[in-house]
Amino acid sequence: MPDFDISPILESWQFLATGIGVTILLSILSMAASVLFGTVLGIARVYGSRLLQLVITFYVDTMRSIPVLVVIVWIYFAVPILTGINFPPFWSALIAITIHITASVVEIVRAGIESIREGQCRAALALGMSWPQVILNIVLPQAAIRMLPAIGSVLSVTIKDTAIASVIAVPEFMKRAETVASQSYQPMEVFTFAIFVYFLLLFPTTRTIDFIYRRVAHLGRS
Amino acid sequence: MTEPSPLRRAATQRPLLEYKHVCKTFGAFTALDDISINIYPGEVVCFIGPSGSGKSTLLRGTNGLDPFDGGEVFFDGQILPRKQSEVRKVRQRMGMVFQNFELFPHKTALQNVAIGPITVLNKDRVEAEQQAMALLAKVGLADKADNYPVNLSGGQQQRVAIARALAMQPEVLLFDEPTSALDPETIGEVLSVMKALADEGRTMVIVTHEMSFARRVADWVIVFERGKVLEEGPPEQIFEAPKVERTKEFLSHLGWA
Amino acid sequence: MTLDWSIVWLNKEALAEGALMTIVLTVLTMSLAVPLGIVLAFMRLSKWRSLALLSQCFVELFRNIPLILIVYWSFYVIPILIPVQFSAFTTGLVALVLCVSAYNAETFRAGINSVRHGQTNAGLALGMSQLQVMKEIILPQAARRVLPILATTWVSLFKDTSLVSVIAVGELSHVALQIRSQSFRVLEMLTAMAVIYWMMGYPQAKLSDWVRKKFEVKE
Ligand SMILES: Nc1ncnc2c1ncn2[C@@H]1O[C@H](COP(=O)(O)OP(=O)(O)OP(=O)(O)O)[C@@H](O)[C@H]1O
Ligand SMILES: [Mg+2]
Repeated sequence: MPDFDISPILESWQFLATGIGVTILLSILSMAASVLFGTVLGIARVYGSRLLQLVITFYVDTMRSIPVLVVIVWIYFAVPILTGINFPPFWSALIAITIHITASVVEIVRAGIESIREGQCRAALALGMSWPQVILNIVLPQAAIRMLPAIGSVLSVTIKDTAIASVIAVPEFMKRAETVASQSYQPMEVFTFAIFVYFLLLFPTTRTIDFIYRRVAHLGRS
Repeated sequence: MTEPSPLRRAATQRPLLEYKHVCKTFGAFTALDDISINIYPGEVVCFIGPSGSGKSTLLRGTNGLDPFDGGEVFFDGQILPRKQSEVRKVRQRMGMVFQNFELFPHKTALQNVAIGPITVLNKDRVEAEQQAMALLAKVGLADKADNYPVNLSGGQQQRVAIARALAMQPEVLLFDEPTSALDPETIGEVLSVMKALADEGRTMVIVTHEMSFARRVADWVIVFERGKVLEEGPPEQIFEAPKVERTKEFLSHLGWA
Repeated sequence: MTLDWSIVWLNKEALAEGALMTIVLTVLTMSLAVPLGIVLAFMRLSKWRSLALLSQCFVELFRNIPLILIVYWSFYVIPILIPVQFSAFTTGLVALVLCVSAYNAETFRAGINSVRHGQTNAGLALGMSQLQVMKEIILPQAARRVLPILATTWVSLFKDTSLVSVIAVGELSHVALQIRSQSFRVLEMLTAMAVIYWMMGYPQAKLSDWVRKKFEVKE
């Protein structure tokens, strides 16, 4: 076993720590945007017109068949050529990851809505609610709870996807770890440290969501 | 050892099942507390008693699915072994019917009945399926042989489960509340199959909450409470003139007499 | 802006080779990660606490770090730890297998655990051995739940093979990105890459939907 020299990590700790900050920021922003757009599109996917449903399905399946890496480099390199607008890498990554993750959220929202029994809607309609009221007050709250575990794994995927943004030099943690590794010629230490960091970021996140779900699961049953 | 009751029909023979000072605990909770009872060949014995009194636990220990902590069970004069490979041999001679049927959902009714002989007894498939067909006919389900369990009613599933147990040609049948997961309409069809088996002279141990069935079919009734035997006797005694006050309370609670 | 799509046609052979490499990686990874996942799942379910713990640690670790990091780590660290020089292809394959077998282990474990305990009892009560119960009763039922998830994992894996491009394995995205940087026909090449992925991935996604529908457990 070779010696383990952590001095490069200590020397560039600020550089690495801001990288972790960028990773977290990018994860939160893309997740928030994806949940927002995914919910809207998910509702449209279930209740929208036939044409709208087809378009959304096509978008979702397209994202299921193209790697996120491809979306990221396309948005970063190709969009400026088409539009003449140059985004900084962070924004390109945010847009690309959001486009990609939104598709997963659409599927989850759709499945969540479809899992609510029709009787629940009928009961609410019988009380005199309008359809938007039924969706907002009855369907979505129950579906949201059932969706929690799946949303948890999407959050985990999102955090992992932000590491791919390193290929367009977004100054997030993966990129910074790579930089430190190559400059210090000590890749073993730096990448092993990176494994620790990502694990500490991801493991508690997914566990917390599982924990919350177990506490509230009963509210989603009907 | 307790003397066999003179009232018992087969009590002159050696018991087929003999429980001696059987105990079972779950953590600090005592589910079975020094149970000593006998089951004689050809007898139908019903276990009754309030929920949580240990009836299922006693049944599951009988074929070693959930072994007892203390005491012994003798089956046909042999002590119930603890080694997995040996207890298997004993299980092949006992049939068990579960509250939730536990049919194998990936197999048809016929395959469910034939799987025991095929995998456990290494019987020829054709022969096993012929026998299975005969057993399905016996429980009145010959026309459902190719149905999967999802496409059978609860009562039909339970009848297939009985046929599955019979396919091993068991020396004793253990029933754990075979009708309590059923709709009222289908309880009758299962009970009448069980009655027919009783009339064949099979040895049966039945945990049940169906008091009128126990009254009609049982040769011997054992009342449990909190892991102990409260009272045992022929059905006439238990249902008409119980000797123990708690038995009377339990039965009247169920609306009996 | 002038577009010149002939660049795609000129490089059709390289792109086809890249696409082939993507498929080879997907197939190879899955055929190694399925048996490995089964082994890990059985370790996790075994009586021996240390085996179970070992499997759990492996699975939790590789499920909770980004694949791209596993790729880098394999590329830079494995040669330091063991004195064997692997090709980039082998390194990429190892990284993919590590990650996917962790996912598969969870899939198999969940599949086996999803079969009610009463089913085991019913088999045992017939006199079956533990092994027979596993083979005749648990595994066939678990398979119905496992196959749809494996199909989903397959589709993700197909996409994730693109990440080994960072260590210059010549699969589709690496080839396309190389041509892009040599030819400066950025938009054309990147679009072509996306379209080729789409043409290969779309049927797979649809196929995985079909598998899910077909094996949907109705109880
Ligand atoms: N695996 C177990 N772990 C802990 N406690 C158990 C377990 N199995 C049974 N018990 C407890 O043992 C007691 C006896 O259970 P058992 O199932 O034998 O009762 P029962 O007489 O069959 O009741 P019921 O009529 O409701 O089926 C119950 O209080 C139950 O809570
Ligand atoms: Mg019970």
